[in-house]
Amino acid sequence: MDLLIASLPLLGGGVWITLQLAVLAAIVATVLGLTIAFAQLFGGLVLRIVAEAYLYIARGVPLLVLLFAMYYALPYAGIMVEPMSGGVLVIGFYFAAFMADVFRGAMLAVAQGQWEAGRAIGLRTPTILVDIVLPQALRVAGPPYVNTLIMLVKGTSLVSVIGLSDVTFVGRQIIERTLAPFEIFGAVAAVYFVICFALSRCGAYLERRASFVH
Amino acid sequence: MSSEIALIGRIAPVLAEGLYMTLELSVLAIVLSALWAIPVVLTLISPRRPLALVARAYIEVVRNTPVLVQMYFIFFGSSILGYRLTGFVAGLIALTLQNGAYIAEIYRAGIQSVSQRQTESGLAIGLTPREAFWVIVFPQALRKVVPSLANQGVVIIKDTSLVATLSVAELTFEARLLVDRTAAVYEIFLTLALLYMVITGVFSGLMRLVERRLRIVQ
Repeated sequence: MDLLIASLPLLGGGVWITLQLAVLAAIVATVLGLTIAFAQLFGGLVLRIVAEAYLYIARGVPLLVLLFAMYYALPYAGIMVEPMSGGVLVIGFYFAAFMADVFRGAMLAVAQGQWEAGRAIGLRTPTILVDIVLPQALRVAGPPYVNTLIMLVKGTSLVSVIGLSDVTFVGRQIIERTLAPFEIFGAVAAVYFVICFALSRCGAYLERRASFVH
Repeated sequence: MSSEIALIGRIAPVLAEGLYMTLELSVLAIVLSALWAIPVVLTLISPRRPLALVARAYIEVVRNTPVLVQMYFIFFGSSILGYRLTGFVAGLIALTLQNGAYIAEIYRAGIQSVSQRQTESGLAIGLTPREAFWVIVFPQALRKVVPSLANQGVVIIKDTSLVATLSVAELTFEARLLVDRTAAVYEIFLTLALLYMVITGVFSGLMRLVERRLRIVQ
């Protein structure tokens, strides 16, 4: 117990890094994911091919490999990236692929008839999209979106491997000095659990809300 | 040209060893997760409320914490307890615990999607509830969830890279070692990424074949 209290300031610093990383990466992933989904749905051939290739890579290559590649390859090319921005970008890009699947699936889940009905009353495509399709799609997207956010929060733990002092990294450092893995990693796990469990409750709430639609 | 051939000669054997380790860990983790998920789902859907709650708590805990932290917990924890596990075994346990929870949920969705009438017909022809579940419901549930299982398998294959942090000489670990030794950064990371894409691609392809064979025609 004393150990945990003594470790609190260090762990707190790690939690702060983890939170920053998670929020920033979530923003990158959401914006980029929406962009990819739109490129897939409405883009020309070239855009669609680029989007597919992107998804194929993110689905097939582990996040850790992408982080290592960023960490080793960019400095080699003379590009100096701060670990924090690098981590945000790689995690954001990686989960953008899963976000894209969520958004695309949600858009496709809105019945084709909604588009036709919009056209029948003379609305133009952007209006149909914004006023009719997107509001319905967002309801469908809610729960899987939250699931992807949970994966993203858990994924941020990998930055500990490229030297960013997030809560996992701090935990490992404390272990090397104190040899109390259960207490420290229990505390680290609890941090993630609080964040992810809160998110999953939000997801469950959205699921109940969304199910009223049909 | 000859220097490139020399480079390939240097990295290929090391990567091949790593690849073998990755494949071994992936196969074991996928099989064990799929098996471990069976008792979990049985507990989860059991009519005994306290038991079901235990399973629910387990699933929530492992699904809401990173598999990397679980690996550290098991790896460093086991050595404190005096039963020092190798990185491979600690990684395998963490992967199984984490993905077993996800697969249990997949099984549950599958079991619930099998019509109640299937069980009733089974009972009507004189099967016990247990027999009806194992002979009629569970096999159909399994067939329905092959695509979800395939997705989870891909997640497992990618997550095997995390045992590199426990110094297990699998693909990612060996590649990183080679980068330090040869400074051929682009070539090695490109090869590494391609290898993972090939492994996950082949696995997904095989699972699609399985799915086609087992599809239930409605």
